[in-house]
Amino acid sequence: MKKRIKAVKKGDQNAYADIVDLYKDKIYRLCYRMLGNRHEAEDAAQEAFIRAYVNIHTYNPNMRFSSWLYRIAANLAIDKIRKKKPDAYLDEEISGTDGLTMYSQLSSSEASPEETLESLELQETVQKAIEQLPEKYRSVIVLKYIEGLSLQEISEILDLPLGTVKTRLHRGREALRKHLGHL
Amino acid sequence: MKCPHNIVNLMHDFLDGDIGPHDEKILREHLQQCSACADHFNGLEKTVAFIQHASHLTPPSDFTARVMAQLPKERKMIRVRR
Repeated sequence: MKKRIKAVKKGDQNAYADIVDLYKDKIYRLCYRMLGNRHEAEDAAQEAFIRAYVNIHTYNPNMRFSSWLYRIAANLAIDKIRKKKPDAYLDEEISGTDGLTMYSQLSSSEASPEETLESLELQETVQKAIEQLPEKYRSVIVLKYIEGLSLQEISEILDLPLGTVKTRLHRGREALRKHLGHL
Repeated sequence: MKCPHNIVNLMHDFLDGDIGPHDEKILREHLQQCSACADHFNGLEKTVAFIQHASHLTPPSDFTARVMAQLPKERKMIRVRR
């Protein structure tokens, strides 16, 4: 990775394409879970990679490169959430055909239609619950449970003290429990 | 049943993998005796399992190509640097 970053700093765009390929799944997933919408997630993830490229000279090698990328993407997603009108946003993806197409891409070929439907409903419920979280809890929950990062890494990515990360994680879990704990 | 005042915090410490043996014992013993707290804890564990098993989408296949097409031009970057 160090070699690739060096090459990118010298202006080698092919080296950057390798980096995008390596991290695109993670960054896209983060954006999708934060924003709850495929189209916006794509835009945000692309923008994150473009920003990272343009600002590659500010990257501090003491930080993991993935953490740096996560930080850029999380901040972008948070900005987008803040700019959205909360009411316009909530039912955007839920009933449209767009959502159906998206979820049908997820279903595994072995599942029966009934099972698929059940898991689609569950998927929607989980995503809706995540989207209802205030953005400061949402980023911590997504980094922890969707990306599987340690509390220490999350603290680095979001530039927050460990104690704050813990508090937000606890509150986020409690808020989600109200939607999901009884299922 | 009188619940220890910090019992919910202990649940979260447990979920964070950050609980000492003494506190864990307090938590386990209390959950065995108190169905309200046991429900609360089950709800949290279930919630975590649901979130963790949320399906993972992948970006479209032309994602990298589209990022690359939007980058500032190579030559310009190098010129700025020199």
